Amino acid sequence: MKPLLQVAGLSKAFGGNKVLEHIDFTLGQGEILGLLGPNGSGKSTLLNAISGFTAVDAGEIMIDQRRIDRLPTDQLVGRGIARTFQLPAMPERMSVMEVVMSAGIRHHGFWSSVLPLPGARLAEREDREKAAALLDELLLTQVRDLPAAALSGGQKKLLGIACALMGSPKLLMLDEPMAGVHPNLRNEIVDTLIRLNREGLSLMIIEHDMHFIRDICHRCIVLDRGHIVATCRPDELTHNAKVLEAYLGTPAQPLPEAV
Amino acid sequence: MFDFLLHIISIAGIYALIAVGLNIQSGYAGLLNFGQIAFAGIGAYAVGIGAHLGCSPLLSIPAGMVLAMAVGLLMAGLGGKLAADYWGIATLAVAEIIRTLAFNEDWLTGGPQGISGIVMPFDAGGQRADNLLFAGVIMGLLALAAIISQRMSRRRFGRALRLMREQPQLAVCFGYQIPALKRTALVVSAALTAFAGSLLAFYTGYVSPDYLLSSESFIIWSMVMIGGLGNVYGVVAGALLVQCLYSFIPFAKDLIDINTDIAGALRLGAVGAILLACLLGRPGGLFPERLRKIP
Repeated sequence: MKPLLQVAGLSKAFGGNKVLEHIDFTLGQGEILGLLGPNGSGKSTLLNAISGFTAVDAGEIMIDQRRIDRLPTDQLVGRGIARTFQLPAMPERMSVMEVVMSAGIRHHGFWSSVLPLPGARLAEREDREKAAALLDELLLTQVRDLPAAALSGGQKKLLGIACALMGSPKLLMLDEPMAGVHPNLRNEIVDTLIRLNREGLSLMIIEHDMHFIRDICHRCIVLDRGHIVATCRPDELTHNAKVLEAYLGTPAQPLPEAV
Repeated sequence: MFDFLLHIISIAGIYALIAVGLNIQSGYAGLLNFGQIAFAGIGAYAVGIGAHLGCSPLLSIPAGMVLAMAVGLLMAGLGGKLAADYWGIATLAVAEIIRTLAFNEDWLTGGPQGISGIVMPFDAGGQRADNLLFAGVIMGLLALAAIISQRMSRRRFGRALRLMREQPQLAVCFGYQIPALKRTALVVSAALTAFAGSLLAFYTGYVSPDYLLSSESFIIWSMVMIGGLGNVYGVVAGALLVQCLYSFIPFAKDLIDINTDIAGALRLGAVGAILLACLLGRPGGLFPERLRKIP
């Protein structure tokens, strides 16, 4: 499998707290990679580093063999990276449809909006069709004219995915997409993500829902205290001693006898 | 009475243009610019200095707009280093620096006396006809500015500004360059405001450092807040309302026997009271911004 994302020697510390230490891994084109680990293991920091929201201390991040770790955050969309947030904050005075449309950033200059330029008109029409299709796919059509901030937590997650897909990314990184999403929607989202993956989208997913991980991921990376402790297939997770240790701790020592 | 109404229409129209300009920054882009009046002052002084030097308005008006746009870029540059509220204070400082320059550089600006003797750029035959034509031109320009502003706010650029206003992190994530968006909003707003400032200089026939007082920025902010931050038609209504209030309160002097100083203070106080009532009762203004539906 050709590598899409390569991370080498990545380290990040906040003050004296080493959140990530010498992280190395590769994500292949068309792969769905799960990122697991207990709270505070560095999953979100890793996602923030790749998406440009956190500057790294050392190491390299490459997409298609080109370094991206020194690029400004706003240029990463152009390299095919999109992400969602664990707790998506959405605008109050913009409708759901407007928010999805605003994720299409072609022709957003002042003159394109004031003069009837053909490029902007075409982009607007194409984006409108694409946004409507994405809202339909993510089951948000009936709330398209509501203020985006008025959606439930689960719907906001779906809206985040719809926005991320507007830019036709190569790599989509999801931060706990299932937390707060109603179980009924779960299968629909799994189907959508698998279909998008078949169409060529690579995914990196932080998620605590093990069933979801098992249903969708090709491979998993388990982080613990800033280190990768295991790389395995999802069905091997429960047999992996290091994974169990990361989640459950080391086997308890016998208590000292009472004096 | 007709002349007085014409006067209110002209002045209110000019201030409404400035308020529409401020709304592009504060309403759409969420930028707290407390030095907006500096752009109007620059436009007014450009016309004053141009008249003094014998330049055509066709030269002095664009010159003022370009200079105001440059100051806008300078203000936007400060924004990269400062948080939104500190940036607001910095814009106030920039406006005060420009006022102090206007006050002290006598050779250029005429100092505290300002520059008088600015004549209208056209002659419609008699003062009344001039004023009528001018009021008509201002109303036409105001309608044009409001329509363009509304159109812009609904389209791609306006959506980008409003997304930046509410969720800058999301906007960055989508690939918008926040500094560039802020720069464009400031430059567009500065150009419109400077243009309105030059109209003010032509209308009143003179320009002085009083045009640059920070209380003027306060008045424009009240117009925007009372009308409806982010709703351009509300902002125009707010400007007309505040300006009517401003023009009629001096009559209270005759009704309730107070002196001119108190009447002046009463004007600012009344605007402040209405603003406060609005903030408490209708935080979105009299005509709040509505969701823009995409068909």
